[in-house]
Amino acid sequence: MSEIVLTGEVKSKKKKKRVDPEIGVSLSWKTLKAQKQLIFMSVPIAIYLIIFSYVPVWGWLMAFQNYRPALSFWKQDWVGLQQFRFLFQDDAFLGVLRNTIAMSFINLVLGFVTAIALALLLNEIKVRFFKRTVQTISYLPHFLSWVIAAGIVATSLSVDDGIVNTVLMKLHLIDQPVMWLSKGHYFWGIVGLSNVWKEVGWNTIIYLAAITSIDPSLYEAASIDGAGRFHKMRYVTLPGIKSTFIILLIMNIGHILDAGFEVQYLLGNGLVVDWSQTIDIFVLKYGISMGNYSLATAAGIFKTIVSVILVFIANSIAKRLGEERLV
Amino acid sequence: MRKKVKRSLIVLCIGMISTALLLSGCSGSGKTSGGGSAAESSGDDTKPITLSVFMDAPGQQPTADNKIYKLIKEKTGVSLNMEFLVGDLQQKLGVMIAGGDYPDLISGNDKLINAGAYIPLEDLIEKYAPNLKKHYAEVWNQMKDPKDGHIYVLPSYGVYTGSVHDTTYQGPGFYLQKDVLKEMGYPTPKTLEEYFDIIAKYKAKHPDMIGFETLNFDWRVFPLQNAPEHLSGHPNDGGVIVDNNKAQIFADKDIAKTYYKKLNEVNAQGLLDKEAFVQNYDQYLAKIASGRVIGMFDQHWNFQDGENSLISQGKIGSTYVGFPLMYPGAKEYYRDRGGLNLNRGFGISVKAKDPVRIIKFMDALMTEDWQKTLQWGIKGEDYEVKEDGTFYRTPEQRKNADNNTWKLANKADSFFGYMPKMQGSYSDGNATDPGTQPQEFYDSLKPYDQEILKAYNHKTWAEFFKEPGPNPVYFPAYTIILEDGSAAQLASTKLNDLSVKYLPKAIMASPSEFDSVWQDYVNQIHKLDIKAYEDRMNEQIQWRIENWSSK
Repeated sequence: MSEIVLTGEVKSKKKKKRVDPEIGVSLSWKTLKAQKQLIFMSVPIAIYLIIFSYVPVWGWLMAFQNYRPALSFWKQDWVGLQQFRFLFQDDAFLGVLRNTIAMSFINLVLGFVTAIALALLLNEIKVRFFKRTVQTISYLPHFLSWVIAAGIVATSLSVDDGIVNTVLMKLHLIDQPVMWLSKGHYFWGIVGLSNVWKEVGWNTIIYLAAITSIDPSLYEAASIDGAGRFHKMRYVTLPGIKSTFIILLIMNIGHILDAGFEVQYLLGNGLVVDWSQTIDIFVLKYGISMGNYSLATAAGIFKTIVSVILVFIANSIAKRLGEERLV
Repeated sequence: MRKKVKRSLIVLCIGMISTALLLSGCSGSGKTSGGGSAAESSGDDTKPITLSVFMDAPGQQPTADNKIYKLIKEKTGVSLNMEFLVGDLQQKLGVMIAGGDYPDLISGNDKLINAGAYIPLEDLIEKYAPNLKKHYAEVWNQMKDPKDGHIYVLPSYGVYTGSVHDTTYQGPGFYLQKDVLKEMGYPTPKTLEEYFDIIAKYKAKHPDMIGFETLNFDWRVFPLQNAPEHLSGHPNDGGVIVDNNKAQIFADKDIAKTYYKKLNEVNAQGLLDKEAFVQNYDQYLAKIASGRVIGMFDQHWNFQDGENSLISQGKIGSTYVGFPLMYPGAKEYYRDRGGLNLNRGFGISVKAKDPVRIIKFMDALMTEDWQKTLQWGIKGEDYEVKEDGTFYRTPEQRKNADNNTWKLANKADSFFGYMPKMQGSYSDGNATDPGTQPQEFYDSLKPYDQEILKAYNHKTWAEFFKEPGPNPVYFPAYTIILEDGSAAQLASTKLNDLSVKYLPKAIMASPSEFDSVWQDYVNQIHKLDIKAYEDRMNEQIQWRIENWSSK
């Protein structure tokens, strides 16, 4: 949530800076009055942000307490950094952190590469009907909930008549069915591929939109210069969507500690638990279901702080490279 | 000018909408006050009165001329205005609590107890309700709220009189398909060896079948974790076994090792489903519903959905019969008497105008005559009596009892479900309801089921398990609440995590490696603060023994 808040604010500031010197008036009641429709329109959003993004930060205090829901604020037991200590000293937590970052990273890379590749390929298709069909089919799984999607994945990977095993057997790539879901070192890959299958179509939409905004005269100029299909892709289309890509990348880096919860929870099992548990599952198990809201809050704070730091780092790298950026 | 008009129009509209919203939010209040003065009027016990009732499950209103409700009205003067749950319970409760707008009788709920929605009942029962007092005498102390010692809700199930006739069996057991039993000549396995021998022989003939199934998914881990306690002669106490009122965990004990070592062998023989530890609950049910699973250890209710699907496909032969397997020398304790369902059933709300009348009404229905009417129906119409006094039903009457439309006009099931009730048998020896009358149950079964029961010389499924005595006072230990955030809770959660992780590992390991994986598992368990967990269990068991024992 926090990084979105940042964008909103900063963007509006930018605008003001640009506008003010031109008109030659500083921020005053007069300007406010002149823009009162705009201000009125932004009030609900501001209220929304205050209520849902700033007020809840008050709840962070819970992380330093041994919070009990029935007690009033003044009667809570203050424990300092004990919750954080529990979190970082637990052997399981480091493993969980590793899994989270690894799966997130895999999702990030696979997600971007496949979405851009599919968008580029779709863009080259000139038959509208075929293009539309592929697009629709590829983004349909996005609308399934993970409960159903995980069921489909588990069934496909099943040793008894699962489609994956059947196909691999028919191709003589394996001699006997593989128990995909019982091997820890396959788990990250399975999660990554499931994510690709579910989200790739949806993720291409934004790139396709970015591609349509590229000036057609650039393609024409490229053709005149003798560029073929691949050259056009490489030198026109890709650079054309680069800024979209960078913005999305920065935003997604902020979510690196949100590797998800449902997939791992639904596909994980006792045999792969060392690879499948993510921070969110850990928090659910040792925080929320044990009534330890303080621990859950502490983990939440940790995630937020890491996210904010990562967003700023990514942003400053983009700045240094002279790219479009968020902040 | 035009702009201004438009704008003020919009403002006006917004104003009207918000006022409308406000008003609609407020409506409904105001009308409830008044009429609360008639508090202690209970002179005439058959004076017509209407009680409002809320039940926390969806249901259907009975027909207006329902014969049982009519009879209740005739005899007691009470008519019922029933409200069933529509939508989400928590939301409904929230609204009820916020508005303080309670009906006279409300089904029990912890949230409502905490909100102070019920009146204490113990004095009312002492004074006005001899039948209820007698009915609950044995469990009187258990019914008291642990926090303030008052009784707020009258439990609707779990109080037994006379001998208890179970007919169906919902508990734990080692299950086998009926077709398997028939083909193998109706064996009665008593030990793990005999049980897996049957499975091995049957699978040899039918290689497509899955030998043995288990489940290690989410909170449904008992099919994998609970077997050792039953094999060693303990009832279902969850994660602990209790000997002489002393609880201890069994996950690291030999009784567990023996069982999982056996599963390890069974897996090596190819009898265990390869996917058993990878599947989720839906896949588990789907396998059972496919009719391919020869046997499993589970609690019957947990795979009931799969079995229901088999029944609707007409595959009665693929449904299951449970067997109580034992370690040599252990004494069987699979079946237990269902515990008291605390905080379920009805409580009288603080808004009830005449609590005395209500408790007298509930008391009146606790006589044997009324119980027979409510559970069996009306003699000559819904059931018949043999010369020796045994109750039975004709096939016609049985068919009626399965017909929902008929029931809406002729039974008071939805209301009675929440009322205090007799379970077990009446003083004349008949079971309290048709479903638990052994002969009646047998006659209502499908022919294939009758054939199986006949082969085993049983009348009911429950007879495959030893009849339980009265429960120990503290039973079941798994209902003991581990306080949130306590060391005991942490240990219990971590223990479960270890079991979920290591048991599949140990079972899937090659037999030569089993011992080292097991040792690893036990070492990990011993690193936990198991003592905190056991101490909490023992402390609560002692508390229950002190406070729940009837004097």
